[in-house]
Amino acid sequence: MDLGNLVSTNHAYDDLLRRTLSGMQSELARLIYLASTRDYNSGVYHHEGLEARYGAAPARIALQAAHKDIFYRLAALSLAGLVEELDLYVRVSREAPGGLIHAWQELEPYRVAVPMGVDATAVQLFLSNVRVALEVLRFHQARARDRRPASSLQPLLGR
Amino acid sequence: MMWACIFVALAGFFVLLLLSADEKIPKEAAGEGWLIPEPGGCRDVLPIGDIASRIFSREDREFVLRLGSPGLRSMYQKERREVALLWVARISRAVGKIMQEHKLASRYSRNLDAGIEAKLVLQHARFRLVCGLLMVLIRIFGPHAMGDLAAHVGELYQRISKVVGPSEIALDQVRNTH
Repeated sequence: MDLGNLVSTNHAYDDLLRRTLSGMQSELARLIYLASTRDYNSGVYHHEGLEARYGAAPARIALQAAHKDIFYRLAALSLAGLVEELDLYVRVSREAPGGLIHAWQELEPYRVAVPMGVDATAVQLFLSNVRVALEVLRFHQARARDRRPASSLQPLLGR
Repeated sequence: MMWACIFVALAGFFVLLLLSADEKIPKEAAGEGWLIPEPGGCRDVLPIGDIASRIFSREDREFVLRLGSPGLRSMYQKERREVALLWVARISRAVGKIMQEHKLASRYSRNLDAGIEAKLVLQHARFRLVCGLLMVLIRIFGPHAMGDLAAHVGELYQRISKVVGPSEIALDQVRNTH
């Protein structure tokens, strides 16, 4: 990579962090967003705004680098931290929490969010932690349902 | 005769450990670029210590234990055991690959130091034994095997000292020191 491209890549990376990623509330949302900028068939990243401003190659490298960075941050997160991240993601998504957790457990869409060419052990650790974190969230939900006072149901039953 | 049996059993155990360290790992998990940074300068590897400390983290286990759900606990143990076994297998394989490359390179080397080479071979054998032992322990006791074993030894000590009595253990210690 020549010096001009390297400078453009650094600028594209900063721009991506400052303008796009900083607006997202959770690391998981950033990971999924970055994975969505990658073409499923070719594995190449695309971002029109960044490409128009900095060129195709610097934009692609910046997106790839940011994707890997965020993935490694999530893979190194404690289980409690990942549960918090996932909980935040669920709350921000505006989907019914039960439905989202069920869909994630059934379809495992987080598998597609993993960048290419990353450490395979980190991938396995991340996928395993997400599976456990989803189960923890489901457990929290079930416990919250059980703890809801029976008196709160009485007016409904009386109707 | 008995010594011969013990010797054969020990030899068998060591062979088993060495074979455990060489265990096959799933193909999709056997990325060839493991621990090798890609060109471009961005962060391409998670430091090996970070992965190990996360896999064997007591913090994660305590978090799951605090939830008080047996189902979650067993799911966590199963998941973490698999990742831990994969980590040991990959570490063992990566070092094996380095040794193989060294062996190939040393064939063409003119100034080989036999002492250093022997030391390297011994260290590699020791490393594989430790990896094998780790695999057996993780398989049997889970990813927190070492800590669990130490806690188990502590529990056993307490049970024995309750049965035998603290005075007798103290007396034994005094006898042993004199």
